[in-house]
Amino acid sequence: MITKIKKRDGREVPFNIEKITNAIFKATRAAGEEDYETAMALAEKVVERLHKDPDIKVPGVEEIQDVVERVLIEEGHARTAKEYILYRAERTRVREMNTRLMKIYEELTFKESKDNDLKRENANIDGDTAMGTMLKYGSEGAKQFCEMFILKPEHAKAHKDGDIHIHDLDFLTLTTTCCQIDIIKLFKDGFSTGHGHLREPNDIHSYSALACIAIQSNQNDQHGGQSIPNFDYGMALGVAKTYARLYRQNLVKALELLSGKEDITTLVNTITKKIADEHKAYPTLVPNEKYMELEKKYLREFISDADIIQKAQVFAVEKAGAETDRNTYQAMEAFIHNLNTMHSRAGAQVPFSSINYGTDTSPEGRLVIKNILLATEAGLGNGETPIFPVHIFKVKEGVNYNPGDPNYDLFKLACRVSAKRLFPNFSFLDAPFNLKYYRPGRPETEIAYMGCRTRVIGNVYDSSREIVYGRGNLSFTTINLPRIALRSNKDINKFFAELDKKIDLVIEQLLERFEIQACKKVKNFPFLMGQGVWIDSDKLGWEDEIREVLKHGTLTTGFIGLAECLKALIGKHHGESEEAQKLGLEIVRHMRKRMDQASKKYNLNFTLIATPAEGLAGRFVKMDRKIFGSLEGITDKEYYTNSFHIPVYYEMSVFDKIRIEAPYHELTNAGHITYVEVDGDPTQNLEAFEKIIRAMKEAGIGYGSVNHPVDRDPVCGFTGIIGNKCPFCGREEGEVKFERIRRITGYLVGTIERFNDAKRAEERDRVKHMSFCKWGLS
Amino acid sequence: MKTIIRIAGIIKESIVDGPGIRMVVFAQGCKHKCPGCHNPETHSFNGGTLVTVDSILELAKKNPLLDGITFSGGEPFEQAEAFAVLAQEVKKLNLDIVTYTGYTYEYILENSSRHRGWGALLDKTDILVDGRYEANKRNLLLKFRGSENQRIIDVKRTKAEKRIVILN
Repeated sequence: MITKIKKRDGREVPFNIEKITNAIFKATRAAGEEDYETAMALAEKVVERLHKDPDIKVPGVEEIQDVVERVLIEEGHARTAKEYILYRAERTRVREMNTRLMKIYEELTFKESKDNDLKRENANIDGDTAMGTMLKYGSEGAKQFCEMFILKPEHAKAHKDGDIHIHDLDFLTLTTTCCQIDIIKLFKDGFSTGHGHLREPNDIHSYSALACIAIQSNQNDQHGGQSIPNFDYGMALGVAKTYARLYRQNLVKALELLSGKEDITTLVNTITKKIADEHKAYPTLVPNEKYMELEKKYLREFISDADIIQKAQVFAVEKAGAETDRNTYQAMEAFIHNLNTMHSRAGAQVPFSSINYGTDTSPEGRLVIKNILLATEAGLGNGETPIFPVHIFKVKEGVNYNPGDPNYDLFKLACRVSAKRLFPNFSFLDAPFNLKYYRPGRPETEIAYMGCRTRVIGNVYDSSREIVYGRGNLSFTTINLPRIALRSNKDINKFFAELDKKIDLVIEQLLERFEIQACKKVKNFPFLMGQGVWIDSDKLGWEDEIREVLKHGTLTTGFIGLAECLKALIGKHHGESEEAQKLGLEIVRHMRKRMDQASKKYNLNFTLIATPAEGLAGRFVKMDRKIFGSLEGITDKEYYTNSFHIPVYYEMSVFDKIRIEAPYHELTNAGHITYVEVDGDPTQNLEAFEKIIRAMKEAGIGYGSVNHPVDRDPVCGFTGIIGNKCPFCGREEGEVKFERIRRITGYLVGTIERFNDAKRAEERDRVKHMSFCKWGLS
Repeated sequence: MKTIIRIAGIIKESIVDGPGIRMVVFAQGCKHKCPGCHNPETHSFNGGTLVTVDSILELAKKNPLLDGITFSGGEPFEQAEAFAVLAQEVKKLNLDIVTYTGYTYEYILENSSRHRGWGALLDKTDILVDGRYEANKRNLLLKFRGSENQRIIDVKRTKAEKRIVILN
């Protein structure tokens, strides 16, 4: 006897034959055979059939519907059966449409990105394009799949509730975050992208093209940023090859003209090869005396007039130098153009690319640095500010920091370009926590940063490999600090106890994710691992597990909203009071200590990052406002303040902001950045710009940059500060809007329209650290 | 220093009022009344706030990044004596002085005997941005100034070389 049925959500409710009758009745009506009595009779037959089945005790909705279908057909009600089946399918469809994922897909499909925050979650994706939307379909589907099928329920819950945020959840089962690509190693003897082999490049043009391809290929194996830590050192090799070739070509031309002899090409090539083989000397950008003398000597055997040889050499040096300079500029220009145009990350984004440079003092390296900077200063085709790559200029005493240092001129140039284009950012090799890895003459020990702020150099797993090349972050998860503070009711001990619980949770979650990543094979990463980009992956076979080599990567905990957390705990943030600063440092130091302990325990690189929060800035605060209400200075804004930053709305001097944020750089060994906001056009005042950078260096900052308005009139091409009217052509903003480039979590965005809601609010609230304040001597 | 200055306000840090990072002191009171003036609320000689030289110095001392102090306005030369005192003290902090004025350099030189403090303030000024704001010569692209007739004058070199040395 059936007394109950099981609903779709699992609940059991009393069985009611009327519901079956009604469903059948509706179907008869749709079929034009409206007849309640028949419907009732058929329903009874269905119940009878269900009773007879010994396996059915509590039938489910689907089981009952199956029986209804069978009864209708068997009893000769074919048309009603057809209607019933259609009705059933329609109900199923409506039900599925109402699931969360389908609701999301609906929004993605029919709402424009200006109305849909989800589409603007990441400012680099154009959510209005086909591939941009496809990317979001995939990403949202994967997130839900991972939440429901992969994550441990307590991790999924903590993530869903907003206690923590598991970054790049959509890629949880697939790959790791980012990598620092050693292009010197990659280019040596060439490499393959999967559809054919690329020979070792022989010209600066091919060097720059292959650097783009390397970034692009690796981007398709990872979800995070791709960085070249040794851009100057790497490209310098290409410059040297280009110079040698151009020198030979120009020498041949000059000798042919001056001596009137034929077949000089063969002669010069033979001589060059002979000198290279026997004396290891080459024509170089700053002429190599030994080479020049040897060349003279060998040429004299064929050309008697020494004067002709001398003249030809002078001509070749001069021409080859100028042409190499020009070729390098064009190669750098192409590099920047490529990185801003190839939408190869999941078809909808340009790769998240970063390049580090500044310390190569060789003439070739200097030429690379000069020209990448000049090409950036010039901008894209119509003078637009390039969004990619993120440039990081490495500042080092004795190399480029002080007048008299070999690359000081390039540091000045970097300041000039950054004052116009917001890039380069500046990394400081002399900050004690960076300097301790530095070994002169070994560029792999020079700190490099990736894009928004990521830093990977220390290595608990293998202390002999504390280098940047071939390494990166594996995954990271952020803790919602204000939430913990609000739950602790100003009880500091309770706060730390709760914080510890969250850290435990995150460590466990990072380990679980690592386990998934570690089981992958080389073949899952045809470029990253297959081409030996990741450290030691060249020692593995195609089918090998990547567990051991992955251990060089980092497992990282992040945090957001230190300022709001301090407000909740003691009523002031670290910009407002020394006491808050002390507590802020204590909190972050504690988190770092926990990471160091975990590193020791698991022999893996657990690190702490000052989270770059894009979508997260708004997500956490929205949830917390629901729980705790709108609290002044805590949940009353649309965003939480990034990591350890001083709130953007708080007015404070440049010096104080740098001074207060600096000590957090040492503690956040997985990455950090300090920004200074400046009002006005710093290209008109480079002294001030350089001074800010120097203040950062002196304060012990690891990585920093200056934010300033960069506006552009697309009509006349003027770049600078534009109010309501273009100061160059006098045009007022009408149909054609002025472009306003701003930095958002480390990346430049061409129009504020692509900011998500929380970031728009943050941009609006940013106080320039240099702004007019009415008289007050407090 | 208990010397009192009537000021309209202060910008603690600026990069648009002279070379380097500068604190800007806006004098209250101006006779020029240039049409289109950027700070018309600074014209009245009764408005603003009275502050001591010391309190301004205290503020400057708090910021180790400063390259100098800029006197703007308002018209600093209407309170030349007080600003000269301030300038004197500012120099002791190893900071330089930029002074904005609606008068021209030549006018100030010619009339310095008739106005108390003019000679002293000019003497303490490293860079003088001179001339009235002329709206029809407005140009937003100019460095540190509003209209094309205004000049950035290196006062020290101008005196030494006995000709006006312009830094524009």
